[in-house]
Amino acid sequence: MKSNAAQQKIHIEECDGNEMILNLGPSHPAFHGAIRTQIRLDGETIVAAASEIGYLHRCFEKHAEQGNYQQVIPFTDRLNYVSSMMNNVGYCRAVEDLMGINVPERAIFIRVIICELSRIIDHLVCVGTNLVDLGALTNFWYTFNVREMVYDMFEKISGARLTYSYTRIGGLSRDLYDGFMDDLKVVIKETEKAVSDVKGLIYKNRIFLDRTVGVGVVTKEQALDWGFTGPVLRASGVPFDVRKAEPYYFYDTYDFDVPVGEHGDTYDRVAVRMEEIIQSIRIIQQCAARMPQGPIITADPRIKLPDKHEVYGSIEGLMNHFKIVMHGITPPVGEIYSRTEAANGELGYYIISDGTQHPFRVRVRPPCFYFFAAYEHIIKGQMVADAIATLGSLNIVVGECDR
Amino acid sequence: MRERHPRSVNFEIPRYILFMTYFSNIKTAVSTVFEGMTITFSHLLREPMTIQYPDRTPLPVKDTLPPRYRGFLCVRPEICTACTLCQKTCPIDCIVIEHSKDEELKQRVMTRFDIDMAKCMFCGLCTEQCSTGAIYFTNEFEASTSNIKDLVFKFIKQGEKVIPYKIPRKKKPAAAAAETQAAAKEKKE
Repeated sequence: MKSNAAQQKIHIEECDGNEMILNLGPSHPAFHGAIRTQIRLDGETIVAAASEIGYLHRCFEKHAEQGNYQQVIPFTDRLNYVSSMMNNVGYCRAVEDLMGINVPERAIFIRVIICELSRIIDHLVCVGTNLVDLGALTNFWYTFNVREMVYDMFEKISGARLTYSYTRIGGLSRDLYDGFMDDLKVVIKETEKAVSDVKGLIYKNRIFLDRTVGVGVVTKEQALDWGFTGPVLRASGVPFDVRKAEPYYFYDTYDFDVPVGEHGDTYDRVAVRMEEIIQSIRIIQQCAARMPQGPIITADPRIKLPDKHEVYGSIEGLMNHFKIVMHGITPPVGEIYSRTEAANGELGYYIISDGTQHPFRVRVRPPCFYFFAAYEHIIKGQMVADAIATLGSLNIVVGECDR
Repeated sequence: MRERHPRSVNFEIPRYILFMTYFSNIKTAVSTVFEGMTITFSHLLREPMTIQYPDRTPLPVKDTLPPRYRGFLCVRPEICTACTLCQKTCPIDCIVIEHSKDEELKQRVMTRFDIDMAKCMFCGLCTEQCSTGAIYFTNEFEASTSNIKDLVFKFIKQGEKVIPYKIPRKKKPAAAAAETQAAAKEKKE
């Protein structure tokens, strides 16, 4: 099979007597999803590596072209399934920018809160599973306890535990439930406790330091060349954050810091993620204090389904209801690239509209794809066990990488 | 031997006090292990966070789910208007509705309303736009069966004809007045 990209790069004939070829993945307990890296080993040192994706391809873009704009939202849940809310928000923001809709303030504040909660759980999952790969199972339970509480909150808000489909174009599907703020306080308290527990367990631990310090180094220049964004780029020492560089949703009015690493190794990436959790808590607290009252979806009749009493009571309401569902939302002809800071980095949606109800193109710029493209270069010269530690700290979510 | 990174715990002590290094190593090891163990032991006496499913839960799980929970879809055919909006809005076409004009009853009837719950992805777009609330989410979620065809929920049995719901019309004021007049005449007589 010469068509296989990974096999073209690594040939069994090139190996001398001491070397061997090993497949990491596509179904491997230490690999986070169905991805495959073929490595050539000299003893335990990786001499060459070649990555391959495509095992989880689900035709997201083709699906999006066939449905209408509202029907794409459930598919965006499945991109980064660890923090689905952020994908919903990113997509809806792109379509709203394309149509020039003003989202009500309450919807924006709720979106910021759910985004930051998603960022927290994404980082907790990343740190927890990364530490499991290093052999520290206890941290996993501490981080997942908090994640469970956030999941319960999201379940009460949206009705689902993983695939929320919570946002709608122009706002949100439902308002917050009563008692959300009380739950939020409990979750924040538990998160802080979990973060301090995990920090106490790992930061001075000799095994953790030996396994992570100086492992999987990505220098500043390399990170910029490879197109890295998010915590991995910041761990390499570049203070780039879309929330600061191109503020959206009033992020410029919140008081929060962008944690930056120094060496770009696995240790820094874990530390940056831990610090970002604390910063996200700060944003949530400010956001909850400023939460306004009001509608949660725009009043634009092109998008908003009319209220039920209008549908029953007036012919205009009924016609509008059917018009929106049958003909869908039709943005003007044009194209847009809209980016938000997702948990892993810059999540961009590039949407082309040809004026019909179906999007002409929905392209996703996933942050993970760039990490995994560079992965084969990062792990060259390392040990196999270090390669696993590096992969965990890059936080590759294959649903997003493959789409 | 791998080179030690400058930020790892520093054990670089001159060779002439190797003896001291030995003890300081032990001290660091003991203190860091002790620090970790205090955290884990503090979790030891807490209540367990896990519960055993399905028979040891205090309440059946479906009763503890929040009211917005998106479980299986259910349809009340008696208030369905057969507008087929749910079929139209479903992103993966798991709802099939058939309706036609019936010659006997001289009106439109629904003959089929199937939802393939094996395909359904519980996104909630169909319930949101249903104008009468005929299609709604339940709290049921246990879907395992031995035959996947069992998951095609048929809300109208084969051969059954369901007349779509119509909002009972108010009579026009003139007609209503004429009726009351006629009723009054009847009373007089």
